[in-house]
Amino acid sequence: MSAPPEQVTITIDDRSVSVPKGTGLVESALQAGIEIPVFCYEPRLGPPLGACRMCLVEIEGLPKLQAACTLSAQDGMVVRTSATSAQAADGQEGVLEFILLNHPLDCPDCDKGGECPLQDLTLRYGPGTSRMVVQKRTFDKPIPISPLIALDRERCILCYRCTRFSEQVAEDGQLVALNRGASSIIATFEDEPYRAHFSGNVIDLCPVGALTSTVYRFRARPWEIQNVPTVCAMCPVGCNVWATTREGKVARVLARNHPEVDGGWLCDKGRFAHDHLRAADRLTEPIRRIRMRGLVAVPWEEALDAADEGLRAAGASVCVAFSGGETVEQADALSRLVRQGLGADVALLPDDPDPALDAFRAPLAAIRSANVCLVVGDEPVLERAPIVDLWLRAARRGGAEVVTVGPAGAIAAPPGSAAAICAALAASSPPEELRELARDLREADRVALVWSGDDDTGGRHLAGLAAALELGEGSGAYFLPRTPNGRGVAQAWRAAGDGRGIDPSGDEALGALIVSGDEALRDTRVVALADRARFVLTTAMFMNEAAGQSHVILPGTGYLERDGTVVNLEGRSQRLRRTVEPPGWDELAFFAQLARRFGVDVDPWTRAGVDELAALPARSGTAPVVAAPAARGPQRAAGAGGDFELVRYRALFSGAAVERVPQLAFQRPAAEVELPGGDASRLHIATGERVVLRSGEVSRELAARVNRRLAPGVARVAEEHADGLADSVRIEKA
Amino acid sequence: MQNPFEGAKGFAVTLGQIFRKPITQQYPEYKRPVYPRFRGRHRLHRHENGLEKCVGCSLCAAACPSDCIRVVAAENSPGNRVSPGERYARIYEINLSRCIFCGYCELACPFDAITLGNEFELSEYSRDDLIYTKDMLLRPPTKTMPVADRDLYDTPDPVWKRES
Repeated sequence: MSAPPEQVTITIDDRSVSVPKGTGLVESALQAGIEIPVFCYEPRLGPPLGACRMCLVEIEGLPKLQAACTLSAQDGMVVRTSATSAQAADGQEGVLEFILLNHPLDCPDCDKGGECPLQDLTLRYGPGTSRMVVQKRTFDKPIPISPLIALDRERCILCYRCTRFSEQVAEDGQLVALNRGASSIIATFEDEPYRAHFSGNVIDLCPVGALTSTVYRFRARPWEIQNVPTVCAMCPVGCNVWATTREGKVARVLARNHPEVDGGWLCDKGRFAHDHLRAADRLTEPIRRIRMRGLVAVPWEEALDAADEGLRAAGASVCVAFSGGETVEQADALSRLVRQGLGADVALLPDDPDPALDAFRAPLAAIRSANVCLVVGDEPVLERAPIVDLWLRAARRGGAEVVTVGPAGAIAAPPGSAAAICAALAASSPPEELRELARDLREADRVALVWSGDDDTGGRHLAGLAAALELGEGSGAYFLPRTPNGRGVAQAWRAAGDGRGIDPSGDEALGALIVSGDEALRDTRVVALADRARFVLTTAMFMNEAAGQSHVILPGTGYLERDGTVVNLEGRSQRLRRTVEPPGWDELAFFAQLARRFGVDVDPWTRAGVDELAALPARSGTAPVVAAPAARGPQRAAGAGGDFELVRYRALFSGAAVERVPQLAFQRPAAEVELPGGDASRLHIATGERVVLRSGEVSRELAARVNRRLAPGVARVAEEHADGLADSVRIEKA
Repeated sequence: MQNPFEGAKGFAVTLGQIFRKPITQQYPEYKRPVYPRFRGRHRLHRHENGLEKCVGCSLCAAACPSDCIRVVAAENSPGNRVSPGERYARIYEINLSRCIFCGYCELACPFDAITLGNEFELSEYSRDDLIYTKDMLLRPPTKTMPVADRDLYDTPDPVWKRES
């Protein structure tokens, strides 16, 4: 560990404060209980810019006012803010008058009105009246820079927060400042829509109403809303969010900074997908299949009776399919109903993170300070756990070595080889391609291992590698589950009984199948099981073909309608709070009642579930035992002719929720297949050309996109465009 | 001992009143003019070009101490322009059974879109009928109330208006 930084003492407004050397003046003042107002300053966006000049202070010994945000505390510095210095107060007033020269006074129209830093600071530091007599600058407004974000250039004060976010945090570089001086404007390149996974954050960052959400547009005003602190359960990261409600409906979702988990950022799925709760095709009543009448809406009590009857007839031949989005409490109720009440022991878990991983827990923020980050697996981290990608980018900016090993990695590896790579790196003599990486991993102080593969045994292999590297403080192994609460659901299932048996492969008839949630309904394994089951009980928010085969369908709840605990990819238990009322009973209430009929007492209320689960960190020295698979070094798959190995990934913007938010439609993966550069030029395929993917009888026509990072012989397609295709496909021009 | 003439004095007052003109006003038949700044039922106003002055900013709802105003805003579109700004009030409701006629909404309104009129006959047979919608508030009142001479009672030009 490095020595604690040197302390310096500075005087701000006659108050003396001692801070570590290098602390910014704004933070130092805050420590002394003094506020220096800012617009453009945001430490999370990288180095300060000093664009807005709102933070002007007087510093003894310097002839002119200085921008406090760009200075750091020096020993003996004497700083006077506008509270004690007339010169600084005059300067700030001038700055505000200058900012307001072209800022329209349409606060009653503006969505930011009431929670606007410019309004607040003008009231506190600004002039009472304007001396501007000529016409203000006007632009067309609002300009939709994407279907999600509306840009109002008149209101923009050019603080460059949004462009800095785009360039230095998300690194998508799509939002730029055009032109110079008074004609500077914020724009996207060539007026293309701002299509990026984190675009919504610029709305939060904007200190005025220049960038506003089109989903939230004019839906509520700040004094009419309630903000509920909860956790996003759309992906395994578990970002902390504020859910804003008005009149009992979710109006928007905002990031709630948890410095260890999300750093205050939130992806667009978490931010905008909440509108699916109000989708027109949402199920609100239980549905029962009645002979000769088909699916009929029935009261809850009747659904309970029907479920009771169906499960009793099935005896112990029951399988439960989890979707991984349930809260720990829901999964616990269902697990105990099935294992203790019905005596069955078969579940389809969406994820199975190995308990051995608990020994290598670390907060996600530890990735940023790692020296070497290793990402293994076929799936892009950005699509599976988007915030992890931001942490990896932060690590790379900080000088860390970020190595991806996989079909699209810096070190190419065939699809599905992630487990073998972990084993190879853990071995004493790794193969040639991995030797340098293995040395770096062993020599580095702090290591972050990220698993983004599709292999159920991945947790075990990742833990094995972590144990072999003897990860210390500041290092962590992060297994990215496919589903938001995959880790918690697996924990709950394990805790509810002993042993686990998963056998979805057989073809004998099944007594009953319980399908929990929409994600499970989309699983082809579950659909196959449903065909074999005599009784299918489904909870789902939305109807689909698979749900239509069920005998009893219960309207499901969304994560914003649940109270409970979710466990994120770090193994951190977080509390989900009910933000809005669900349309009917929630799953926990239903399954608790059902369990009671089978003699199992399940608490239908969520009570301090968080305390029962281990909190971070839980480092114990027990090294997991790993049976290493045959170390298969990364080999280059030779794409003979037009034969490709197909890699599917689950796009972030997919699933039942995203499909029901029209504004998110443009974020969904395009009907494209990514092809490696070498193979594409050999087959004379360029980006944008139509190609046909064939495997057996199935063929799909997609647009080609050449991705030079892809390993030869590998083609990558989003799951929703790869329906029915086998793992090996033949690609040719359409 | 009481003075025997006391009672007679009292009756003399009564007798004297009998020959005076009564000051009782027969209310439903005769409506006494209200003061010009009397605060009665709200009205929403339009610009001369027919657009609504209200932009649905909800400042009236924020100022309302009895929380009787509900505003739901929506965005103007070229095909449906309701107000001059970007937003307009899609729903504007005042629950007059809850309103205390304090006039804060009028003070809060940045566009002088809402004012309190002088109508005070607001009784209804059902509470639901006391929820006034935007259409009802925009329409000119059906009953007109006599108003006392403005010059007698009202300040012609408020001080703050004269100085600005």
